[in-house]
Amino acid sequence: MRLERITMENFRQYYGRQRLTFSKDPQRNVTVIHGVNGAGKTSLFLAINWCLYGEGVSNVGELISKEAISRAQPGETVQTLVELAFTHNGERYLVSRRLSGVKQPDGSIAINSQDDFTMMRIQWDGQAQRVNNPIGTMNAILPSNVRTYFLFDGEKIDNFAKPEASDEVRYAIYNVLKLEVLTRARRHLEDVAAEYRRELKRVSTGELRELVEREEKARKEKEQALARKEELEREIESARRKIADIDQRLREIQDARALQQQRERIERDLKQRESELRELVEEIRGIATSSFVTIAHPAIERALAILDEKRERGEIPSNIRQQFIQDLIERLQCICGRPFELNSPEHDRLLALMNSSFPGSLEDEVLDTSAALRPLVERGQALKEGLDKAMRRRTNLLDLIQAREEELDDVRRQLKGSPQEEISRLEKQRQDFQADIESYRLEQGNLDTRIEALNKQIAELGKQIEKAKKAESKERLLTRKASLAQRAADAIDEMYQVFADEMRQRIEAETKKIFKQLIWKDSHFQDIRLGPDYNLEVIDRYGLPARPELSAGERQVLSLSFITAMARVSGEEAPLVMDTPFGRLSSYHRNSITEHLPELADQLVLFVTDEELRGEARRNLEPRIGAEYRLEFDRRTSCTEIIEVRS
Amino acid sequence: MLKDRLLELFKKYEQDVQQVVAEVLTLEQEHISMERPRVKEQIKDIIDRVVKDEA
Repeated sequence: MRLERITMENFRQYYGRQRLTFSKDPQRNVTVIHGVNGAGKTSLFLAINWCLYGEGVSNVGELISKEAISRAQPGETVQTLVELAFTHNGERYLVSRRLSGVKQPDGSIAINSQDDFTMMRIQWDGQAQRVNNPIGTMNAILPSNVRTYFLFDGEKIDNFAKPEASDEVRYAIYNVLKLEVLTRARRHLEDVAAEYRRELKRVSTGELRELVEREEKARKEKEQALARKEELEREIESARRKIADIDQRLREIQDARALQQQRERIERDLKQRESELRELVEEIRGIATSSFVTIAHPAIERALAILDEKRERGEIPSNIRQQFIQDLIERLQCICGRPFELNSPEHDRLLALMNSSFPGSLEDEVLDTSAALRPLVERGQALKEGLDKAMRRRTNLLDLIQAREEELDDVRRQLKGSPQEEISRLEKQRQDFQADIESYRLEQGNLDTRIEALNKQIAELGKQIEKAKKAESKERLLTRKASLAQRAADAIDEMYQVFADEMRQRIEAETKKIFKQLIWKDSHFQDIRLGPDYNLEVIDRYGLPARPELSAGERQVLSLSFITAMARVSGEEAPLVMDTPFGRLSSYHRNSITEHLPELADQLVLFVTDEELRGEARRNLEPRIGAEYRLEFDRRTSCTEIIEVRS
Repeated sequence: MLKDRLLELFKKYEQDVQQVVAEVLTLEQEHISMERPRVKEQIKDIIDRVVKDEA
């Protein structure tokens, strides 16, 4: 930041609109503002602080010029405004802070609660563009927590050099060198990482792995079942072939031929009957599907009975239509043509009739329902008859099949009991193969049931896996986010101390260099140390800590050296604005500082009394002064005017 | 510049860490005047973006 210009309007004793332009010339980078005590140096210093940060003011009511208030009428709005133009990193900015209040009848002022802070960025073509985040931008340029190290009261500057000041030194380094930014960044990243981990714990179930394992297991079991089914099919085919061979052999043996042929006939017939039975079962199933009519049959019959009864009693259709009664009521005239009054007994009677009669539409619907129910009764009857017939056929078929089975059993018994050993043996083998086929079929049936269940299970697991995959994708993303936040926090943690130590050592070296330039007892003070405990120590020629013995002036020089060193190490492009910097300094230190300070800062703004800057100190500074002003306090009006001495 | 030196120190870390650190430090700097800045959501946005850019 390099200050360009300040404009004040009705700010404390600066009545009206007054302007001051700072020197920006790198060779003449000093702006001197003279004023006797009470002339308004501190007010001008305060105006810079207030404009940039809205801070440094204990009572905002005292900011508005008393002269401006006294000239205003009760009820009139009075305002104060400070505008500051500056450049930073090649960009030009214009910031302004405005505060207004209304003059009260008793002469006091009621301040509007909030001041108005705006920041504009000036484009290359002179157009101003409003900065949307002025506080954030200001924090990036020169944060408020470091302002006191660049804009400071010279009379309080020796604070850093006091023996008990290590906390202040640490705090200054902490803020100016962005250690506070690092600490906050690390803490907030840790918090975010912890939050991601908590969320991860919530969504993470390890479910996907388990589901995939279950699906793999189910698929494996299905494959095994299918393989076993194929194996069984091969076994069945083999058993069938063996049975066919046995049948052929039995046909060839004279004593078995007739029985074998009989068996073949029975088996053909049995096959035919079983086929018929399957078809019949399908038919019965079809009838049963539409049997709701049969189930509803009693209810339908009851509904029809009620409707018929109402018709017989003459209630449906009703004798008198609702519309007819409505017409009589509207005409207030009886059927006989005799008129009647509203609310008369005749009128009430017609209203009662109206309420007890059916609307015409309902009557039609009741009649339609009756017509629709009758075919249902007939259909139900037909279905019932069809079902009874099919069931009877089924019983007959089952009886026939049973009879054929018994005949087959008889043939088997005869063959097995044959006196010819070969016939008996062949039949026994045949029965064994037949039993094997039945066992295989049973096992195949069980396998089919299991495969069907596995198919359902696999399909369901597939759905669950898709769902879990989505959850796992979220889990993976959260894991990466948590890891990144944590790695960033850890990186800051690791680098913090490296950076802090490096900065501390650089400040130590820079402070020593500047202190040696500024102090007149440079051979007495041998070293400056800024330890890891942030204790700023001066070491004398005996190698002993000398800070307790430092004079007030020496302490001020040490503090100034430290502040200037910090500013240089921080690399912040910022002005040094010092209010009464030389008040407590002896001439040697004053001369030394005025000789070296302009080289140590990018821009130097000094608020001084005439006594502070005279003789050699003045001569030292003279070639570096680019702008000079005098603050003229008018005793008659108690107002200060800025007088330009040099620009 | 101090910021440049600071970012230089993080060069040994992975690119994604460097990017997050740089952006979070800028964010924290912008909110340094607040005692309790509410920057968690903005930090999450940064991480979200860097993770997505990487994917």
